[in-house]
Amino acid sequence: MSSHIPLQLTMSLQTCWRCLSKTSKPPLFSLQHPLQSWLLLPATIAPFTTSASLAKQIVNSPKVPKKKKENNVLKVATGFRKKSKKPTDVGKGRRPAPGERKALRKRVVLSNTNALEVHGLQDIDAESMMNESFRGQVLGIPGRIVDRLRAVEAFKVPQGWALFRRPAMLMRKETLDFGREVEGIARDEKKKSIRRVYVGERGSGKSLMLLQAMTMAFLKDWVVINIPNAQDLISAQTEYGPVPDTTPTLYAQRNYTATLLSTIARSNPSLTDLQLTQPTNLSDIPIPIPPNISLARLASIGSSDPEIAWPIFQVLLSELKKPSRPPLMFCLDGLAHIMCDTRYIAPPEYKPIHAHDFTIIKSFLDHLSGAENLPNGGAILAATSNSNNPVIPSLDLALSQLRGNQTVERDPFAKYDERVLGVFNKGGVEVQTIGGITKEDARALMEYWAKSGVCRQRVDEGFVGEKWTLSGGGVVGELERAVIRMRV
Amino acid sequence: MTSKLPWRVTYRLSTQCPRCLSRLPPRRTLQTTTPKLAFTAAPPVDLESLPPQNASNARIVPASPSYFTGRPDSTDNYLSLLALLRRYQTLPTVPPAQAPRIAWRTVTQYRLLVGEPVRASKYHKIIEVLQRLNRIHPSVMPPELSGAMQIYKRDVDPHATVRKPLVVDEDGRAFGVGRRKSSSAKVYLVQGEGEVLVNGKSINNVFGRIHDRESALWALKATNRMDKYNVWALVTGGGSTGQAEAITLGTAKALMVFEPALKPALRRAGCVTRDPRRVERKKPGHVKARKMPAWVKR
Repeated sequence: MSSHIPLQLTMSLQTCWRCLSKTSKPPLFSLQHPLQSWLLLPATIAPFTTSASLAKQIVNSPKVPKKKKENNVLKVATGFRKKSKKPTDVGKGRRPAPGERKALRKRVVLSNTNALEVHGLQDIDAESMMNESFRGQVLGIPGRIVDRLRAVEAFKVPQGWALFRRPAMLMRKETLDFGREVEGIARDEKKKSIRRVYVGERGSGKSLMLLQAMTMAFLKDWVVINIPNAQDLISAQTEYGPVPDTTPTLYAQRNYTATLLSTIARSNPSLTDLQLTQPTNLSDIPIPIPPNISLARLASIGSSDPEIAWPIFQVLLSELKKPSRPPLMFCLDGLAHIMCDTRYIAPPEYKPIHAHDFTIIKSFLDHLSGAENLPNGGAILAATSNSNNPVIPSLDLALSQLRGNQTVERDPFAKYDERVLGVFNKGGVEVQTIGGITKEDARALMEYWAKSGVCRQRVDEGFVGEKWTLSGGGVVGELERAVIRMRV
Repeated sequence: MTSKLPWRVTYRLSTQCPRCLSRLPPRRTLQTTTPKLAFTAAPPVDLESLPPQNASNARIVPASPSYFTGRPDSTDNYLSLLALLRRYQTLPTVPPAQAPRIAWRTVTQYRLLVGEPVRASKYHKIIEVLQRLNRIHPSVMPPELSGAMQIYKRDVDPHATVRKPLVVDEDGRAFGVGRRKSSSAKVYLVQGEGEVLVNGKSINNVFGRIHDRESALWALKATNRMDKYNVWALVTGGGSTGQAEAITLGTAKALMVFEPALKPALRRAGCVTRDPRRVERKKPGHVKARKMPAWVKR
């Protein structure tokens, strides 16, 4: 499923601190850190973002050999012996293979043949994404964009895509505003870049706002890099190692970077038209990279070899900042996760490493804070999460101050992280609050649901008003819960 | 026999009675002198001047014939009421619904007053006569009669206390208090678009379950007023169910300030009556309120 990395490559990097004692002699293959660990996206095909046909393959994967059942009959009955009350044949069913349950859990289903097809559903295009007349309308996402969004994992499992025939989205006010900004960047000579953090209630559509932004970027042929879940970067589920010659030491996540490169190559077909302008430095990248190859080819070289993935990612980013390149969109979901200590630890003190010491995170935050700029314009977008977020007082403070609430003062009992505050100190980061949708938008959405056959009630003013109120003023996730999910 | 009795209540129940002033239950005092009554008791028997023909027939005649009922005062009261009714029965009456609403004493209070073990059925007969007397048209009600009825009324008239009517204040808010279980909610209602804030937070942040949100706004939903009013509530105590249903009651009360005609609809929706149930107390010998420990052999 994922690529096996040759043994000699894995040994050069430290895998985890428990293995340090074994550095003198080559470790046994069986004791090595599992390189097959699940990742952002396996280098080839991600099983959890496939449709039903591929999921079927998982189910039919080779079975784990069953142990032979022992004969439970007592051969010699000597005196009293307590009978085992446990049923003898517990494990009748096949145990799921490693990773199978996770793959099912992460599987995103984007179409439902039982759902009614909505007639007259228009597709979003580069014109309609900023046209005010589409305000409060539901527009379908074109198939080619769906594939690319799926490649960057913009669709999330709980978003309810499986209820509809095909993915579609509501053009709310924030969407159209962003569309106009994207259009402005394309026209503007100065090549402005948007640096923005989306905040809002749980279920208000922050992640979906990122999806809509990425849709527009794809429509405009921007290059999109997406980190779908920032928690993956800090939860010690992917391997890591120090980057040589860095003070303070930075840590790279090779496999994650490799899969990220693979994602970039698959989701951005425009990279095939862009060529490498200058030869790579052999001290950075140990293997020779042929000159004048396309950036897509460069990314796929990086994705096939995790050892050089990070240097190639750096080269790719710098190439994308060369003149006459398309604008870049860099998105990250779950901002609070990268604002604290990670689960990784490092010698000599064996203390948790701060998230900002990881290369991908650092690269994202440098762009977000404005330390690195985008000469060709673009957007650096981050979304917070309200259902899965660690408590970061410094982030809360910074975001509330950026929201214009200058009266917020430091809590004398909270611990503030100056590195986190430093990200937002330079200014230029906007904080946009995503709230509830208006009643007109809610009505449009409910009519779409009714046409799709998931809402059976009559959509009239009273119904819309009632559900709008019950959902806390049009919070979309709650609206969906109240109208579609809840069956009385 | 009753027709021979004079029309006077006994001194025990007269309004000038010192017991009524002190509000103490009357005590029956033992006395040897005969009080001045309407009844004319037989003169003391002078056995020397008028020797009885048959000495064995000589007896003391009681002051009231009711003496022999065992409960003379209450019987006299009843008889006096009947006599009043007979005297005034031709006066015009009003339908029962239009008669002044009076809270009569309970049988226990009456027993304490007269100091006799009056039966509930007997007292009920008194009440029936009183209700008939009360139906006499107020404009022609004789003062004697109203004075006689006064002693049967409760000391504190519950129907006289009128609740202060709630009004919409100058800012357009109506206020209502609701309680349920151990929760208490203060609800302010204004005309608006259907926005809801509970303790300063939106309703989906306060109540995770949609069921609780619906029950909190049930008064508005049942009357189709969900998108006509904004709710601003403060709720304390209890759990989520109690808090939600306390808001229901408070909202319903506040809504009735705006639209009093909605009361029947709200009552049908179950939003008017306070549910008085609380957690049942634990009892000794029980594991919980009702649960008994499991039976164990020996």
